[in-house]
Amino acid sequence: MTQVLDRERIAEWSTQEPQRPWTKKPVHLQVWIALAALLPAVVVALMFTYTDLPGPVLMVVVYLPLQLVASGFAALATKGRQGVADSVIIVNAIGATLFSFIILFSVLGSLIVRGFEALWGEDGFRSSFLVQNNVYINPSTPLEYGGLGHAVLGTLIIVAIASLIAVPIGIATAIYITEVRGRAVPYVRFFVQAMSGVPSIVAGLFILTVLIVSGAIGQSAFAGGLAYAILMLPTVARTAEEVLRLIPEDLRTGALALGSTRARVVLRVVIPAAKTGIITAIILGVARVIGETAPLLLTSLKSDQTVLNPFSDPIAALPTYIFDNVALPYPGAVTRAWGAALVLMVIVLILFTIARILGRDRLNKSR
Amino acid sequence: MPRTEVRRDLKSAATSHKGDRIFNRSITTAAFTALVVLAGIAIFLGFSAIEALRTQGLDFLFTTEWSVEQEDPKAGIWGMLYGSVLLSVIGLVIAIPASLLLSVFIVFLAPRRLAKVMTNVIDLMAAIPSVILGLWAFYLLNPPAEEWQFLLNKYLGWIPIFQNESGNFNGTPFIAGFVLAIMMIPIITSVSREVLGRTPPDLINAAEALGCSLWTMLRYVALPYGRGGIVGGIMLGLGRALGETIAIFFVLKLIFETNWYNIIESGGGSVATLIVATFGEVSGPYELNLLLAAGFFLFVGTLIVNVIANLIVQRTGRMQR
Amino acid sequence: MSTAEYEGDVEVLEGEFADKRDVGPIELESRDVSVWFGQRKVLEGVNIACPKKTVTALIGPSGCGKSTYIRTLNRLHELIPGAALAGSVLYEGKDIYDTDVDPVHIRLKIGMVFQKPNPFPSMTIRGNVLSGLKLSGMKRDGHDEIVEQTLTAAGLWNEVKDRLDSAAGELSGGQQQRLVIARALAVQPHVLLMDEPCSALDPASTLKIEETIRELSKEITIVIVTHNMQQAVRVSDYTAFFLAAENEPGYVIEQGPTTDIFSNPRDQRTLDYVNGRFG
Repeated sequence: MTQVLDRERIAEWSTQEPQRPWTKKPVHLQVWIALAALLPAVVVALMFTYTDLPGPVLMVVVYLPLQLVASGFAALATKGRQGVADSVIIVNAIGATLFSFIILFSVLGSLIVRGFEALWGEDGFRSSFLVQNNVYINPSTPLEYGGLGHAVLGTLIIVAIASLIAVPIGIATAIYITEVRGRAVPYVRFFVQAMSGVPSIVAGLFILTVLIVSGAIGQSAFAGGLAYAILMLPTVARTAEEVLRLIPEDLRTGALALGSTRARVVLRVVIPAAKTGIITAIILGVARVIGETAPLLLTSLKSDQTVLNPFSDPIAALPTYIFDNVALPYPGAVTRAWGAALVLMVIVLILFTIARILGRDRLNKSR
Repeated sequence: MPRTEVRRDLKSAATSHKGDRIFNRSITTAAFTALVVLAGIAIFLGFSAIEALRTQGLDFLFTTEWSVEQEDPKAGIWGMLYGSVLLSVIGLVIAIPASLLLSVFIVFLAPRRLAKVMTNVIDLMAAIPSVILGLWAFYLLNPPAEEWQFLLNKYLGWIPIFQNESGNFNGTPFIAGFVLAIMMIPIITSVSREVLGRTPPDLINAAEALGCSLWTMLRYVALPYGRGGIVGGIMLGLGRALGETIAIFFVLKLIFETNWYNIIESGGGSVATLIVATFGEVSGPYELNLLLAAGFFLFVGTLIVNVIANLIVQRTGRMQR
Repeated sequence: MSTAEYEGDVEVLEGEFADKRDVGPIELESRDVSVWFGQRKVLEGVNIACPKKTVTALIGPSGCGKSTYIRTLNRLHELIPGAALAGSVLYEGKDIYDTDVDPVHIRLKIGMVFQKPNPFPSMTIRGNVLSGLKLSGMKRDGHDEIVEQTLTAAGLWNEVKDRLDSAAGELSGGQQQRLVIARALAVQPHVLLMDEPCSALDPASTLKIEETIRELSKEITIVIVTHNMQQAVRVSDYTAFFLAAENEPGYVIEQGPTTDIFSNPRDQRTLDYVNGRFG
């Protein structure tokens, strides 16, 4: 005889509440966890109060090992030998997470605190710092005068030149890989990857030796832009390649079936379809280079003046402005360097955020 | 009469139309820019390297000296080459465990929302320009780090690597390596996060059904599965560290001696930083040429590391798909 | 009507799997189990008791919650974010969801074989068989004997005895599935859960696995989810038929000895299903 569904009990079942019994911990385990979490903190707090050891050292030398041991004991008591290794991993993973948080917020926090000293004074917001140049600055000049306007302009010019060169070539490289699909695809990808590993200082040296030492052009925005272009090209090419890969094959076949030429398929169908993605690629390329200092030190040098001619004169840029001001032996200069660092970081953050937003749209669409 | 079979190879549509031929040719030309640039770097800097080796002999690579302005100029970059490696090793010692723990946290431990936040934090760390990191390290990290190193020396000074005779804890390889670690962590973490995240749920399920713990699951399932990708990510980070210039310039006291292992002793070397530090006061074309030669060896070193890294990442990527 | 008793337990159940045959002590039983994913209830009021050393088949159309149910039996269900449940699952008379029960211990006693063969690709055949010992940190002596014993029990020994150190990925799908069974047996479970173990296999491999199941049921208790009616008839002693209306939680329509379910079902829907009229 079989047993059939007991209809009378359906009502009973429908009143059942969903439960998650696995999230509950038995009391003795809770006690252990509380002990393991509290004891090390208490010990360290006492040591911090009654000894002269500095906080960070206590954290690393006393707290972390103590926390490890405590969690290990708690794990041993509640889960046996297997639990010990797990607790070591978990405590350390949380430690590593806190570490990265602390680093990031320390960097951003110091930028904000110190950068605002340059941007904000008793006279309020110093827009002068953002627009003026550094021409008449001497060690005694107060922060109300002079600024990084010329460096922002210089960075814009250099990045624009780099983009004009690297973006078309980078996108063309991506098109070669995904659309033309020539025989050399694996090699092209290999070279692009190898190129992405070129240290920025080497890119600067290359431009220096090929164009400047040989006397072809002087140290200028153009030379700096070329060095930036070397660094930017692989980023643009690789991101654009990823984007073009997401364009469905049907789109291409469909256009070809309508009698379109290959070139027209790429230019009129594929690229428009990948528009936001390609913009993301460009932004990521710009974000990759905009903070690079080393190549500019070799190729565009520095200037205190506002330079507009990209081909003839040395020119200032934000990263080199920071670099040079740190080296100057008076405090106002260092404050200016922090101000410039804040401006640079804000620009990078804006680029980062735009790339994220565009990237998210792209992912959503492709799904 | 039997019909003979004739094979007709179809010309691809790409080359049968005149406009397309022009389009293809120009795209193909552009695609080889990367090769041209790489070859250009190798050739132009290579010439300088040959010149340096011709005048300095192998001493250029295996001695440590920089007295170029005298009658008989002497230059050797061993201390710099070794220094670059030493700093990177210090960086890796910190960055590898930190990155692995971070990616384990993101993939296996953190609630989904926190994992997303962490991913963004890591990516943001990668976006910090090195000049800003250098500035931060010089003004905010260095002062407390001097104290940490002092204490390290005080209590662990009997270990050779923590010896310090000068009493000067400023501009040490340790602090430079620490800054490199901060730059490597986002690179290694984002790669290993991805490969660990790709561990098939099937295998994790199987391990769970066999009563695994977090540690045994990582040890026997996730890490063996993602090993190749993680190693590749580490190599990518290493490539970045070897070529890093500005951040190290801020925190390392460059000396023309070989600091073999005293990582908390003031002074060390780095090829990339040598170039930037010397370029400002370069005495003439001969010294410039030596810097270009140093750049060549830096280029070759990073190229090798990067190529290996990419091959590993690619191979494991293919295997897993 | 006979009664079923727990080992060492006084509780007496009336009517469960009542059969002319003697029903042994119940090893694994779910009582009023309902399951949620987030807010969605996917299973309602499942009461199934599996007597010791028998094979219980769970049948029903796809999407009726069989696989979800089987995952509640060894606490794999809770690994899915948003998972929740009500009711209790008794193993040897004790609720496995009690707060003081270690899920690792439960998963070792109640092993599982999945739909797709999933040997660990980075390990050898031998390594796979012994992987449960490594993963759970369990100590057992005589690794060589364990490998031979479990592979023999899984019906794979003769095919692989000469290449125990080659990669598990080299085996065919059917062999991989039997390897995975051997892997599950190496930790000496008392119950083996099988979630459509043959759905990814060819008929010849399926037959081999079925033989293995019959052999294993002399030693351990087996719960198997299957889509294949003939398979249920061939391997199982008891059968439970699951059904779910669209967007409604699934529940057990009818359960009992396999012969009765297939030859003499009491519910029209069971009759239709076992005769292949839907599902």
